Amino acid sequence: MTANQLSTRGLELRYGAKAVVQDLDLELPGDAVTAIVGPNACGKSTLLRGLARLLDPAAGTVALDGADIHRMPARALARRMGLLPQQPVTPEAITVEALVRLGRFPHQRLLAPWSAADQAAVEAALERTGTLPLRDQHVDRLSGGQRQRAWIALALAQDTELLLLDEPTTFLDLRHQLDVLDLVADLHTDAGRTVVMVLHDLGQAARYADHMVVMKDGRPAAAGPPGEVLDAELVASVFDVDCRIVPDPETGTPLVVPRDRAGRRTAAAPA
Amino acid sequence: MTAAPHPVDTASATPRTEPGAGTPARVRHRRRVLLTGSCALAALLVLLAFALALGEIRLPAPVALPALFGIGDPADVLVVQEFRAPRAVAAVIAGAGLGMAGVLLQRLFRNPLASPDVMGVTGGASFGAVVLLATGASQTLIPVGALAGGLLAAVLLGVFAWRSGVSVTRLVLTGLAVQAGLAAAVNLMVVRFPAELANSALQWTTGSVYGRTWEEVRTAGGALVLVSAVAFLLHRRLAVLDLGDDSAGALGLKTSAARLQLLVVAIVLASLAAALSGPVAFVALAVPHLVRFAVGPPTAGTFALSGLAGAVLLLASDLLVQHLLPVHGLPVGVVTATLGAPWLLALMLRQSRPVHRSQA
Repeated sequence: MTANQLSTRGLELRYGAKAVVQDLDLELPGDAVTAIVGPNACGKSTLLRGLARLLDPAAGTVALDGADIHRMPARALARRMGLLPQQPVTPEAITVEALVRLGRFPHQRLLAPWSAADQAAVEAALERTGTLPLRDQHVDRLSGGQRQRAWIALALAQDTELLLLDEPTTFLDLRHQLDVLDLVADLHTDAGRTVVMVLHDLGQAARYADHMVVMKDGRPAAAGPPGEVLDAELVASVFDVDCRIVPDPETGTPLVVPRDRAGRRTAAAPA
Repeated sequence: MTAAPHPVDTASATPRTEPGAGTPARVRHRRRVLLTGSCALAALLVLLAFALALGEIRLPAPVALPALFGIGDPADVLVVQEFRAPRAVAAVIAGAGLGMAGVLLQRLFRNPLASPDVMGVTGGASFGAVVLLATGASQTLIPVGALAGGLLAAVLLGVFAWRSGVSVTRLVLTGLAVQAGLAAAVNLMVVRFPAELANSALQWTTGSVYGRTWEEVRTAGGALVLVSAVAFLLHRRLAVLDLGDDSAGALGLKTSAARLQLLVVAIVLASLAAALSGPVAFVALAVPHLVRFAVGPPTAGTFALSGLAGAVLLLASDLLVQHLLPVHGLPVGVVTATLGAPWLLALMLRQSRPVHRSQA
């Protein structure tokens, strides 16, 4: 049984001449939901792309259970790790089922026909994401929430134990954000998947993640269980927001409450 | 408690799906592809029969068809076997190659304007063929020259248009410039080497399947069968590439390698076509749109269909040129270009419209 632990050693990721992530040593726990959070342009999406091998490191390594992912065959890696990009490209007039079927690509050999196992994986993915009734609909005509679930179904059909999600809740209203996050939680608890996702909302991250990585300027400012990591000092230093951390009345997880404008102005300059 | 039922209760609560939603969309799509494919195949066979029967000596079908297999009057057999059949088969092969190349390029570039004639590939292929002809090389080498020319055009396009990512306008404009430059080079060769090129000048400047021989048809046809088989093998990769580079990469596809493979396949298909017909315009540009209009979104089935559609379109255009137009001896490229110019214009206008339709 593999643990699905991602780790980086001295990782540096660049876009052109600009180093977005630098000298990063990170251990992400296996069999858990990890949330990567941080202010805009802190390198969290870049990090996720680096973890998914979509970006070649300028230095350092990314390892999955100790094995360098850049030394694995591409398809072998794609059978262990799936990714939902932040803004996936929906092919013109593709149906939900046709989209989800593409998730089987890493399992198919060049000449092999569509197999019963492929079909079973697609049915399971459609069912789990609640997209069975939508299977014949065109993806580009779905609502934002439905479309996101169809894309998650594609990643599920890929049948990987590790799933990376880049801001899966962006552009969704609150109800659909919660639907997606509940689905992610179920994927972990029921289906035993390890999830690493980039999230914007700290409260949601604290609620749904077992482990949290807070990024600032391409480096982790803190990492650990949300309850231990998230405090007012951290939010002040990373997000430059003066706040109080209160227990979430529903779950007891940390909830970030920004200070009122007046209070913020006086307390904004830390000693 | 006996209040009239609220009107909403009577309305169906389930969302309306598309018409005919009883059968899965995939099955419906496959049926539609099969049906359209059968129609296109039937049309192709009828057109082929016409191509064998019509000409200066008009042969009725019961005479023309046996003559194809060497049965009947030797004069008829000669006309059908040596003149009409290779010309018709050349149109079929070139049309099929152009149709499939058009689909591959439009999907690879996510751009409805991409096609081998807009991008300079057929112009390059013609240039390569003309250079070989002028140097007196053997007929069997022509496809090789065309291939080299097509690749040369693709490299030129890459050098000029690729640098800062591919912008649609830049690609099309550079492609048109490459095509124009290579067409000028072809014209120069035709003027410079009139003896070697005189009887085929129209083929290489405008596109024509006049005077093709079995030898040429066999080489290009065999290569086309091989390369389209490769294209089918790679079709799954093309479908994954349609998801964008990040998703495709996460599915284990090496996107740069896959894109290059498919691009080379498209260029080879277009070059083989151009080796037979010269720079025929419009077919590769129009076929993907026609097929999408007829059967819907691209699949492996519609890919096969676009080969068939290209064959029908080019053969029909060639018959039109030969038999229906009052002016004799026009090359087929004139018809396709005449139809193609307004089509290209309309597409460009629609593309540059400020407000895009949602599914850009």
